[in-house]
Amino acid sequence: MRILFYGRLGEAIGSELEFGAAPGCSVAELRDLLAAERPAIAEALRSKRARTCVGDTLVPDDYRLAAGDTVEFLPPVSGG
Amino acid sequence: MSIVARLEEDALAPERELAALVEQARGDGAIVSFVGLARPQSKGGQAITRLVLQHHPSLTLRSLEEIAVAAGERFDVSHVRVVHRCGEIEAGAAIVFAGAASLHRRAAFEAADYLMDRLKTEAIFWKREVGAGGSDWIEPTEADYADRDRWG
Repeated sequence: MRILFYGRLGEAIGSELEFGAAPGCSVAELRDLLAAERPAIAEALRSKRARTCVGDTLVPDDYRLAAGDTVEFLPPVSGG
Repeated sequence: MSIVARLEEDALAPERELAALVEQARGDGAIVSFVGLARPQSKGGQAITRLVLQHHPSLTLRSLEEIAVAAGERFDVSHVRVVHRCGEIEAGAAIVFAGAASLHRRAAFEAADYLMDRLKTEAIFWKREVGAGGSDWIEPTEADYADRDRWG
């Protein structure tokens, strides 16, 4: 599964990662796996303002991931 | 009604955006515009040389469009214009232009206020201040989220 990171997440561990999560796992489960494996981003991943995107659509924590999905983790956004 | 929402990678000239809005707004009675500038100092008083705005290849422009369209639907305005920088922005340079034109002033004031409250908290950018002491990621404050929530 291809995972992309933006903002402070990308700065901490790089902007892209291949990760062997089992198909069918939820976004929340993937986040927990990543947080355990990459403690440097655990806190930022779990921010209540962080969002997750699959196929250019924001998805909820219970969204089930398929094998070919690209998952994008977006830390809190700020424009203006 | 016209809606302009644009992402600028190189430079943003607020005076040109305002001139375009004035040109469009013939027949209206009011234009309100806001220009956001990159501050030369952080909240902690450290000197900042530049701001870096990372964006998403598709979601960022879509978020600008969605916010601009929502302002057009919500207020009695004739034209809405949002132009946002991305990439590296020198201190003192413009980050964002948000403007609206309307028959009467109140709607344009409210639309510009609404645009900025939503852009601060919902436009898809990741903002980093860079200075002599290193760099810091900047996220909205609770006050910024409260400002956005005023609009329901």
